[in-house]
Amino acid sequence: MAIRPTFLAFQTASRALAASQASIDVTGNNIANVNTPGYTRQRVDQTSISAGGYVQKYALPGISTGFGADIGGITQIRDPFLDVRYREQASESGRYEAILKGLSDLESVFDEASTPGLMNELASFIDELQTLSQTPSAPDIAFVVRTAAQKVTQMMNVYSSQVLQAKEQQIFDLSRVLIENEFNTKVKGIADLNDQIRKEQTYGSVPNELYDKRNLLIDELSEMANIRVSVRPENISEDIAVERLTISLYDPRNGSSISLIDGGSHNFLYAEYQEDRLAIGIASSFDAPEDSDITGHFASGSIRGYLDLINGNGVNEFRGAPYYLNSVDVLASNFARVLNGLNAAGGIDKPLFASIDGGPITAGNIRISAEWLADVTFITTTHLGEDGGENILRMISALDDKTDFYTGGDPALLSVFSGSFHDYLSGLIGEVALDAELYQNYSDTSANVQNGLFAARESMSGVSLNEEGINLMAYQKSYSAAMRYFTVLDEAVDAIINRMGLVGR
Amino acid sequence: MRITSRMVTKQFVRSLNDLSLGLNRVNNQVITGRKFSKSSENTTAAVKGFRIRRDLSRADSYLRNIEHAKSSLSDAESALSHINKLMSDAEERIIAGLNGTQSKEVRDILSEELYHLQQQLYQTLNSNTADSYTFGGANTKNRPFEVNGDGKLVYNGYILNDLSPADADELGKKSLFVDIGLDVQFDALTGKIDERTVFGYSVPGVNIVGSGSITIPTGETVSANLYDLIDELMKEFKSDSYTHTRADALFGAFQSAKERILSGITSIGAKTSYLTFMADRIEVRTIDLKERQVDVEGIDPAEAIIHFESQKFAYNAALQMGGQILQPTVFDFMK
Repeated sequence: MAIRPTFLAFQTASRALAASQASIDVTGNNIANVNTPGYTRQRVDQTSISAGGYVQKYALPGISTGFGADIGGITQIRDPFLDVRYREQASESGRYEAILKGLSDLESVFDEASTPGLMNELASFIDELQTLSQTPSAPDIAFVVRTAAQKVTQMMNVYSSQVLQAKEQQIFDLSRVLIENEFNTKVKGIADLNDQIRKEQTYGSVPNELYDKRNLLIDELSEMANIRVSVRPENISEDIAVERLTISLYDPRNGSSISLIDGGSHNFLYAEYQEDRLAIGIASSFDAPEDSDITGHFASGSIRGYLDLINGNGVNEFRGAPYYLNSVDVLASNFARVLNGLNAAGGIDKPLFASIDGGPITAGNIRISAEWLADVTFITTTHLGEDGGENILRMISALDDKTDFYTGGDPALLSVFSGSFHDYLSGLIGEVALDAELYQNYSDTSANVQNGLFAARESMSGVSLNEEGINLMAYQKSYSAAMRYFTVLDEAVDAIINRMGLVGR
Repeated sequence: MRITSRMVTKQFVRSLNDLSLGLNRVNNQVITGRKFSKSSENTTAAVKGFRIRRDLSRADSYLRNIEHAKSSLSDAESALSHINKLMSDAEERIIAGLNGTQSKEVRDILSEELYHLQQQLYQTLNSNTADSYTFGGANTKNRPFEVNGDGKLVYNGYILNDLSPADADELGKKSLFVDIGLDVQFDALTGKIDERTVFGYSVPGVNIVGSGSITIPTGETVSANLYDLIDELMKEFKSDSYTHTRADALFGAFQSAKERILSGITSIGAKTSYLTFMADRIEVRTIDLKERQVDVEGIDPAEAIIHFESQKFAYNAALQMGGQILQPTVFDFMK
């Protein structure tokens, strides 16, 4: 029969007090952080202690009760699976949101639902041509026609420059703000936190607050790009292993990944505009070699959204700024081609429209030709050698009826569209509006899913005041009970020391 | 599932945002009277709307073209009436001259009067309005009628006397055209306008005064146009070798030439009533289009306001709820 030490229970009581105190502390911390962004609720890992007799030299095999409670540590309540899903969804939403913003810029350039634009100017031009056909030799009407034509060309110039401006703005936002600033800063922040966490873990502490900070940064990073986070153990000595967090750009379409962060090391991204296209490169400090063009690797995230807008030429891919720029160029060059062709008289070219620099006509450089500017009656009203206006009717008919639209206005190339100018323009507005509508739907759906995931994550990791309140009451009771236990022990020992063996004194 | 206050507040903020977005949209609808302010809100309707606008603007052009053609025709009609009056006056003088009892002196006076009427005819034939000549055909820049050295009438550079019937026919077809919505077509080979698809509103002078020459009962061949015939009659009246037979033969030719004026007036009437018919049709179509435009782009004000009220109600209800979404927790009941 083993002998029980007199003061053994005092240790148990003291541990009970400590455990309750720790639980109260953690509850207090949870309550304090109820509104802290990224905070994960914490919990005391409490276990009952018992001393086994097998490994200890002076074991006490006879005692079967425990020695009280032990605080193993304080851990976060978090579901890594939800994190992965949340971040994938954030990446989707990030892309749609970026696209939606860009598309609404583009839509406001082209849309004529409530403000008149090119379609309206084109209609006025045709209208003025009709008036000219009534009195083909009237120079005052011819002047009005030229003014209307000038408005058409100016409107094309405006469209072109506005689309270009929108594109420039997006290039600036993506390369200077999003990549160089936000993305790279966050990547560096995560790598720094990895370092700190590694040090803390090496000394055996559990840096919950650092985890929260890092998770918040990873959440934000996931809105920008398709990242994959993985954690593996790293042995820093024979007995101690810490976790090593790596983040890579993972392309689910081909399963390839490019390393961004590995522990404390990280790679920076940079953006460069080359040959009409924005390319994203990675400056490598470890692992993967430097690559100046990993543009195709972005499957989602706001970076991908911006890339779609900046580079999307509509051929088997997104219809971005280059597509719309090209579309107005096609419009302008074919407009000039049709009218210049009809204005030729007696086999001599008499261009009504020209480019400002003499090069191929685009929406950006289309102008009224110098000859027409010099003489309002330069417009050929008839081919019959009389004063009738049958050629004006020919122009109206060409503008109103089906025409083939060629790339660059060159009939040697393939026709890209067949219809009237009005059809072409309303088709163009329809395209950008439909895209905006579609991506609005995508974005709404994605935001909904993301909200569901946010709720699921919050349900797992968020602080519920009711729960904390009830816990607080429970821990307070257990704290009181532990103190009461002390008193009982104290009285018992007092009885042994002061009152035992006094019989007959 | 655990419900945390952050879940509740975030959800509430989101719903409130959705509601104010909806409120804003209905508000815009009521203010602007439009179903959508951006095409992406309703792409199908927007594209339909664009087509209707184009059709409306076309109909507007056609109506203005018709108006222009009508006023040209009415100018021509009043000029023709004037010419008819002149020629009736001339007819009276000629009949007076043909009376065998008239002396040479009277015929000289009548001839003088005929000269004035002939000059008035010439001026009226060259009458012009705004930027075109009423009887110029497709010619709008130069006076259509001139008198050459031989005293013969010339139309747009052609001596009428010498015109073959085929040439005269060709010349009589040259006209100014307007598009009145008949879907203008061009000949694929020659590139010439298909005249059935446009409206020619000119009244070419050649058709009014007549052209070519005719053989009168005396066996003589003379100009068939009114101007030249009056000239011949004047000469005959003044002539010392005046014969009633020749004068009467010339008068016959004059009378048949004069009939062209009336047939000209009649054909203008027919053209004008066709234009009125077309204008009516286009106006009816315009009304149809405007109705469709309201259907496609516009809102029913009553419906919009009811919608607005219900949206406002939902928003207010949400706001009222907002004050209570954070219900008391167990902390509020702790002692």
